[in-house]
Amino acid sequence: MDFVLFMKESILGSSSSVLTMAKIIIPLMTVMEILKDSNVLDKISNKISPIAKFLNISNNAIFPLIIGLIFGLSYGAGVIIESAEENNLSKRDLYTLMVFLVACHAVIEDTLLFVVVGASLWFLLGIRLIVAIIITYFASRVLNKIEIKDKAML
Amino acid sequence: MSNRINGADNVLVDSGKRGLKKGMITLWKLTKIVVPVYFFVTFLKMSHALDTISIWFEPAMQIIGLPGEASVVLVLGNFINLYASIGAIASMTLTIKQITILSVMLSFSHSLFLESAVAKRTGVSIALVVFIRLTLAVVSGIILNIVL
Repeated sequence: MDFVLFMKESILGSSSSVLTMAKIIIPLMTVMEILKDSNVLDKISNKISPIAKFLNISNNAIFPLIIGLIFGLSYGAGVIIESAEENNLSKRDLYTLMVFLVACHAVIEDTLLFVVVGASLWFLLGIRLIVAIIITYFASRVLNKIEIKDKAML
Repeated sequence: MSNRINGADNVLVDSGKRGLKKGMITLWKLTKIVVPVYFFVTFLKMSHALDTISIWFEPAMQIIGLPGEASVVLVLGNFINLYASIGAIASMTLTIKQITILSVMLSFSHSLFLESAVAKRTGVSIALVVFIRLTLAVVSGIILNIVL
């Protein structure tokens, strides 16, 4: 194996990948931070409430849903744990929310990462959202029928 | 009145600055993973280890329309995180269809160790989480291979 060729290919290739990521990640994080501090999230909450109704979750679950959807599973889980401790979330809400969020979270960052390597933004985002909504819909129907064991809670 | 507007501007500037900082921190975290992975995969490629791995996984990967070497991308994404898989994709030559399949599969299922631990904290079972994610990934891979 040619060591010089290996180093050259690795260094050139990886630095060009990092550069591409910088162009996406830094502006994205800046915009997300501004979004988080402004009240844009409240407005999105209002728009998304029909979806919450369709998924059969309470209004209290909308905020954690949006946080997880946009900012990622850790943030979403943080907000969910907080809400669950304040008893704002029923166990059904919790399970429905988590089924949705494990399939679909941090949609902006995750999607853009793949756009960097050549995937189509709307295709990826669309498939992920639609599939998550479908499985969550069925999960919420199933959860209506069965009782969830109590041991799972926190 | 003008004070209030200035106040709002300051909040915006503050969040902008904080975002910029967070962006750099994320980029640094990312770089620490992407660069070693890129080196690692390039090494696998040039030492022909990737050829061996490819031959092993070729039959299974054919079902989802991917070359055998792409198994490395799936393993890195699921065991480490998306950044690692991005590093691996960047160092391979794949078609748009293959990249699309990989992207969809990985966006359903990635960072399984870390994210399952996070999900567990909310009280749902890890087995359920992993089952949902892997099923979504495999099914979407098979369907996309047929449709695209």
